Amino acid sequence: MNSPLVQCPRCRASLLDGIFNQPEPSPCPACSVPLQIEVFPALFRRIASGRDGETVMVEGESTCYYHPNKKAVLPCQGCGRFLCALCDCDLNGQHFCPACLETGKAKGKIKNLENQRTLYDSIALALTVLPIAVVFGVYFTFITAPMALYIAIRYWNAPRSIVHRTRIRYVIAMVLATLQIAGWILLIYFITTARSRHHG
Amino acid sequence: MAEREYRRLTRTHMRRAGFFAAFATRSSLWLGKDHLLSIDSTGYTEQYKRFYFRDIQAILFVASKRRAIWNWVLIIPTVLCLAWLATALSSSRNRDAGAIIAAAISASIFTVPLLINNLLGPTCACHLRTAVQTEELPPLSRVRRARKILNRIRPLIAAAQGQLAPEDISARMRGWVESPAAAPASPRAPDPSFVVDDPNAPPRSVP
Repeated sequence: MNSPLVQCPRCRASLLDGIFNQPEPSPCPACSVPLQIEVFPALFRRIASGRDGETVMVEGESTCYYHPNKKAVLPCQGCGRFLCALCDCDLNGQHFCPACLETGKAKGKIKNLENQRTLYDSIALALTVLPIAVVFGVYFTFITAPMALYIAIRYWNAPRSIVHRTRIRYVIAMVLATLQIAGWILLIYFITTARSRHHG
Repeated sequence: MAEREYRRLTRTHMRRAGFFAAFATRSSLWLGKDHLLSIDSTGYTEQYKRFYFRDIQAILFVASKRRAIWNWVLIIPTVLCLAWLATALSSSRNRDAGAIIAAAISASIFTVPLLINNLLGPTCACHLRTAVQTEELPPLSRVRRARKILNRIRPLIAAAQGQLAPEDISARMRGWVESPAAAPASPRAPDPSFVVDDPNAPPRSVP
């Protein structure tokens, strides 16, 4: 996609300049659908080719950790190892070695690489609310309430949504789950006491 | 209070991905310090896509017929319900309050969405292009909202990339086409001797 040719999203026809950055929509020359296209200088920026590591010429010069015969250009911001130009992975101004990049992505240490999160607070809340919202679902709370309580406690400190989100769902889930468990305990207690009275 | 990392740009909007609404993905758009964040949420998981201001090449809005389709879907039951309401009101002899209330509730069920659909203005589909992908942004489905968001992020993109005047575009396009370097660099043909001599190449057995 390293080309300034912009295609109409409807008919895939390549669009020529004249309809870019106009204040009002212009019809697509091919399918006549009204289009408004805002282009930015990055459209005309050529993708820079990758750099090769520079070979060490002078003895004693610092070298890349991964390529001992390549000159080090900077340290990795994750592990501090010296990196050559080839091993330098630029991530929005931060420089990492490939190993740190991989580890950071896997463990979620580099926030900018994180592309998925599980919302345990929503799961815990759903486990407490959904069973009482559906017909006969209240019987399932015997299983779902302890599950919700476990999830709320286990993942209390786990990262929530990447955008601002409070722990209110955990709190509601814990309160509801505790009430449901208490309800089941009381129900079992009354049944057992009623039976013992009946037999006695 | 610490400053929030992201500011909400749009409310969640259904992404046309799932067949059943319960399992459909809802998408929302957030403004970060140096990027737009698109969140696709199933309710239990979230997937993030970051569009850095320095990488955004183009934003495209295409007019869509969604508003007209919804108008046709809603207008027929609205007319029927209003006719029912009018009939219930006009029967002066034995006015049935229950029938009037039922007709009014039914009419409002269809009239309110119809009004909202028209008050929100014309619909569109928004696409954001970077060097590696063109991504649809479902939250920007109304022209008015899309323009508002574009006006908000345009200065941020300009701050990251610089300004591009309309008259510069044709000159730059011509420059791109005429420049010999315009052609995408063809992948370098592997030279056996180079590969073997390259210290970065993985270990291999040479016969």
